[in-house]
Amino acid sequence: MKYLIRFITRNAAGGVEHSDKTVDAPAITIGRATDQVLHLKDRRARLQHAVIEQQADGIHISSSALTGVIVNGRSQRDARLSIGDTIEVGANILRVIDAPVGVDFAITFELSSEASSDHFVTDWSEPASGLGGWSKRRLSWALVILVAMFALALPVFLYENFMLAGPVHSAHSSTAAECDNCHVNAFERVPDPACEACHTVDRHVVQSSATVLGEIRCASCHLEHNEPQQLVNQHQGLCSDCHANTPPDATLDTAGDFLDDHPGFELDAAAQDSKLIFNHAVHVDESGIVTPEGRRVVECSECHVPEPGGAGMLAVSMDEHCSSCHTLSFDPDDPSRAVPHGDPETVLQSLIEYYSARLLGGDPDAVEQRLRRPGQALSRADRDRAAAEARVQAFDVAEDLFERRACTTCHAVTRLDSGADVPWHVEPVELTQSFFVNANFTHAAHQTEVTSCDGCHDAAASELSQDSLIPGIENCRDCHGSGFANRNSPEQAPSTCVMCHSFHFEAKGPRE
Amino acid sequence: MHESILAFRKRRYLWVALVISALSIVAYLLDDPQEPPNGGTILGYTLGTIAALLVLWLTWFGVRKRRYSSTLGTMQGWLSAHVYLGLALLVIVLLHAGFQFGWNVHTLAFVLMTLVIASGLYGVFIYVKYPGRVSTNRDGASRPELLDQLEDLDRRSQRVAAELSDDYQELVASGVSRTQLGSTLWSRLRGRDLSQIVLRAGGQTKVVPNPGQEAALDWLANEQSRATDADSAAQIGELSGLLRNKRQLLRQIREDLRLQASMEIWLYFHVPLTAALLMALVAHIVTVFLYW
Repeated sequence: MKYLIRFITRNAAGGVEHSDKTVDAPAITIGRATDQVLHLKDRRARLQHAVIEQQADGIHISSSALTGVIVNGRSQRDARLSIGDTIEVGANILRVIDAPVGVDFAITFELSSEASSDHFVTDWSEPASGLGGWSKRRLSWALVILVAMFALALPVFLYENFMLAGPVHSAHSSTAAECDNCHVNAFERVPDPACEACHTVDRHVVQSSATVLGEIRCASCHLEHNEPQQLVNQHQGLCSDCHANTPPDATLDTAGDFLDDHPGFELDAAAQDSKLIFNHAVHVDESGIVTPEGRRVVECSECHVPEPGGAGMLAVSMDEHCSSCHTLSFDPDDPSRAVPHGDPETVLQSLIEYYSARLLGGDPDAVEQRLRRPGQALSRADRDRAAAEARVQAFDVAEDLFERRACTTCHAVTRLDSGADVPWHVEPVELTQSFFVNANFTHAAHQTEVTSCDGCHDAAASELSQDSLIPGIENCRDCHGSGFANRNSPEQAPSTCVMCHSFHFEAKGPRE
Repeated sequence: MHESILAFRKRRYLWVALVISALSIVAYLLDDPQEPPNGGTILGYTLGTIAALLVLWLTWFGVRKRRYSSTLGTMQGWLSAHVYLGLALLVIVLLHAGFQFGWNVHTLAFVLMTLVIASGLYGVFIYVKYPGRVSTNRDGASRPELLDQLEDLDRRSQRVAAELSDDYQELVASGVSRTQLGSTLWSRLRGRDLSQIVLRAGGQTKVVPNPGQEAALDWLANEQSRATDADSAAQIGELSGLLRNKRQLLRQIREDLRLQASMEIWLYFHVPLTAALLMALVAHIVTVFLYW
């Protein structure tokens, strides 16, 4: 179809000018978009506002816009057009005119003088006035002041605990009632005197050397306010940083990691010989040993009882653990009689007393008693003779006990020069409670379902008390691995140096 | 070609953020301090310093976006980096703290930082989703154009009303002046139609709520049923049609304002919380060294 569009402009003087445009298109599209046949520069129009096109009963204008079009003063969505009709789209006015020859449909187009009209709606594009009347800047300052009061003023003046980076260890709960008991000076790290107010500290071999973050202080290792709480530094590097790289002339062997860089155990040499004669193998024999109750197997725990706390074992004693089998009887005629378990003088004295009483007292079989007439006391000469006889008997029995039977079973006994009153010396027994000089061990931590005494202590193979039943490092390594967790297999217990060793040595004396 | 800030330069800053996070995590896993992991180890101080500098840089975004003449990177690049490095900050700070929390100033700073990041994430969601919704709702028109269309409808309503009686003119005029679109962010977000209208009944005037032009349309329907001549009935019908169109246009504008308010409101949390975070960060650092 051919359309004619006549653009009309009115100049200031009231004159009218027009220019024609002929369009050969299926329809006249009207809208704000640039691809429209009739391109409107009116914000009230939509991009595609209306269409003029041929329909079955004539030429129509239709609009899908909410505002629609106004045809002859009436708002319309669709209207059939005839010559003389006026169409308004926003401020634009179109009039249908008689089509000249060669054209199917003609309209004039003109901008209404109403275009710049009065604004009688509120300008809603005004920016909203913030949030509840508060601008972002004002809200920011309010929050800054709030946080400053809450996070700086409140802790400094009222509630110091709000500044705690983590909990205080229960061991320090009373000390830490005031922050400045430890944090003596503001902006300075906790000084050693703060710790030494309560603690005396044994020193280590080497004192303070510089680190990345400054000198070594108590609090370099003993750190508070952490979770998990860990006042004692368990770290492998605490020892291995120095001991893994000892110089060639060092007296100590290198020790870097328990897994594969640790010297064998060095037992206290003096503790090796207890001066006792004892055969473990006999006592733990699987076929049992002869006891007063008959033959039976003896358990380790019958003699070795853990001390309270379970670290070590209580000392074995003759009275509690040995005497039920090892009786100190001396007279086959009187097997219930026993000498006390004491020093030779006590033993000899008890024998003399025993025999004197037998010869002078109520023993009817004694020789002196048979010589005595009833109702008559022994003469002095008889008594002296009886006493001398008792001494001789006591010495004979004592000699038998000390040199052949009871005592020598367990003790090293030496015969002294004949001039001595008590001519025997028994080596004092020195039982060892701890064989390790510089390591700590606790039995309690090792009592598990899979451990047994003979798993570590090979008592069945030991015939001499000088045998060391302390297992070697290989035995520990069955379970204990590296101090560095990533070097261990899942079955191995991580074993850092301080698990067995202490950093601070009592032997080195107080810290300077 | 439009490129989302998230996809900027083949997600360059996503990769930067991932690399920084991964490096921090690897360093954390390899680090074997003599104490439980915390902000006071060498790695802790390092990560803390990086995090503090990152916070300052992220905050600097607010300054950079106002420097229109700056040629230091594009604004799009800055925003993309702001988003991704802001997320990496969360990883770095968690590792800095060694996952230790408590009721203290230190965790306060962490909580504020988390809120800033969360509000920022919401902002990213809004900025990615809402512009599309705004376009769909506006359907090619701009906000001023929608308002001009509203003005056009109002003017035409008045023209029709002028041909009827004073009552109609009063109805239309009061309906126009008492139309509410919400002036604050909150009211725009809620999108409730609080428009009113003045109705005349039995010589009395009263102000009644006019949500969705209902009151006006009811009044017109009532008048139309009592109209005696066909001409005025048709005019009343036309006025009703204009008001129904106005109702639909108002709904569209209201949705437009609601979408815009959504895109603005999160900044009222993001920005002030950032200011609060900076203060809390100062408190955190001062406290740490006050009680070193």
